[in-house]
Amino acid sequence: MIEVTRLSKIYQRDDGTPVAALKDISFTVEKGEFLTIRGPSGSGKSSLLNILGCLDNPTSGTYRLNGEELSAYSDKQLSYIRAWKIGFVFQSFNLMPRTTALENVEIPMIYGPGRVDRKKAFAALERVGLGGRAYHFGTELSGGEQQRVAIARALINDPPLILADEPTGNLDSAAGAKVMGTLSQLHQEGRTVVLVTHDDAVAAYAEREILFKDAVLVCDRKTSVGHPVAAL
Amino acid sequence: MSRNRLRTFLMMLGVMIGICSLTILDSVGENTRRETMKRFKNMIGTFDTVIIRPGAGKTRGMVSLTNVPPALKFDDAQALAQEIPEVRQVALLQNAFDIDVKYKDRSASPAIFGVSANWLDLRGDELASGDFISPDDIQSLARVAVLGSNVAPELFASDDPLGKTIRIGDVPFQVKGVLQSRGAGPGGASLDDLVLIPVTTASKRLFNRDFLTMVIAQLRDPVKSEAAIAKITALLRQRHHIAASALDDFTLTSPQAVMAQVTQMGSILSTILKGIAAIAMFIGGAVIMSLMLISVSERRKEIGLRRSVGARRRDILLQFILEASLVSTFGGVIGVALGLAGTNLVARMQHLPPIFVWQSLEWTTALSTGLGLVFGIYPAWRAAQVDPVKALRT
Repeated sequence: MIEVTRLSKIYQRDDGTPVAALKDISFTVEKGEFLTIRGPSGSGKSSLLNILGCLDNPTSGTYRLNGEELSAYSDKQLSYIRAWKIGFVFQSFNLMPRTTALENVEIPMIYGPGRVDRKKAFAALERVGLGGRAYHFGTELSGGEQQRVAIARALINDPPLILADEPTGNLDSAAGAKVMGTLSQLHQEGRTVVLVTHDDAVAAYAEREILFKDAVLVCDRKTSVGHPVAAL
Repeated sequence: MSRNRLRTFLMMLGVMIGICSLTILDSVGENTRRETMKRFKNMIGTFDTVIIRPGAGKTRGMVSLTNVPPALKFDDAQALAQEIPEVRQVALLQNAFDIDVKYKDRSASPAIFGVSANWLDLRGDELASGDFISPDDIQSLARVAVLGSNVAPELFASDDPLGKTIRIGDVPFQVKGVLQSRGAGPGGASLDDLVLIPVTTASKRLFNRDFLTMVIAQLRDPVKSEAAIAKITALLRQRHHIAASALDDFTLTSPQAVMAQVTQMGSILSTILKGIAAIAMFIGGAVIMSLMLISVSERRKEIGLRRSVGARRRDILLQFILEASLVSTFGGVIGVALGLAGTNLVARMQHLPPIFVWQSLEWTTALSTGLGLVFGIYPAWRAAQVDPVKALRT
């Protein structure tokens, strides 16, 4: 599903000196895998996720998603991929302020394949166990609830690939476990989940992890069996 | 937008004020123009005429009926009618203001107008009842009178004045007709406070004067009034033996020229005021732009999020342009509403019927929408350039 070949990302610092966020990264992810990307902060995990999520372009190398080579895609084409193929979950939830949970979930439908469908948005909220909170504002929800609203939002256009950037980073362990449970469930349904984290407990849900250090991929390994959902 | 009410209101304010003043200007301007036209028409009557008055042209615009120099004679008027082919006919006026009119024990002091039989036609007046002065009345120096609509009730209360005998000075006149009301003239004074009698009777039996207050020459072709005016001037100078270097001892006024002057003055004023309104609108636009820019930088996260779920740069651009023009249009609509209220207020202050110019609704709405578009483009472009990666970074 994902095929990354010799990918590099070089940033310009404010004083003009170049900094490599990713150096010559290559790996593949099969459809339906649950993969974590781990490593210390500043090691390049988030840069990779942004490129995988079509929010950023690599400096060199290629990125194929479902066989499509995306490095040279225009803004319009990349936006289309983001709307149809990818669901994003962020560490800081990124719910819109003074907007209800339901309206937050509806946002991707504006840009995605279908029409804005309130019933569908409501169903997505029910799926993450927040049907009763549909008309609450983001600020009225707990962190765990906000993140599950964000997951419902990521799912609303039914994308095959879910990208999560430290989704439990701002949550306590109980709320984090619930969020991870929801993500595992998505994986069970056949979606590909790629998750950036530096939390071992979170990494334990995945089948495979790749480790970054100083912008280089240093390790790519299968982890002990996927975390059993039943244990939640 | 609705989430930051104060800012939205401020964004609308400039547009509101600009559109409000434009609406008032438009309606009041149109109202004043119509009223001026109406009053001029009241005073002058038809527009295909040239007014000739004795005396050099010192009083511009308005026709003065007092202190008439004895320069313009009956013969002059006759010569104009006979010798200048462009002149269809002439109407004569001799007048006095200081003669009392009596009926039984009632009295009034209207203006006494000695006029020719064609006066009614040239002035565009109409009779409320009875008949007007006839050519026979002129010939025979008949003692007949036609009353202005204010004079009839003053002398006769609710009685029918037709056929009754009134005294003008000490001379008895028989009432032959009553005019319809003309309303107010350009100065606001009533034009109905008068009694009309045959000009010959006035000259020989009442005023004992052989000069005229005013001659109204009706032209065959009002479009060619310049040529006619030149000929009239030449003829009168010749008849009055005026040396080539001397000034005219008479004044010609063309209602068309006066009207043009008045409407032009109106349009200069409204051009200046429109300029001010345009500046208000421009400031309003600048406010929209700066507040939109603030809004864009505050909403970077929202922009980043929208981009991450599939919004193209174009979608973001359109969203912000739409917001700007929506706010601006809404401001414009409120401005029109306020302008309507203002128009009514101004009209009431001027004692005029309020006229709302509906065409202005269309173009002011278009204007305010366009303003939002133009001043929203740059902030919207900035919004579209927001890098989602940076915007979403915590």
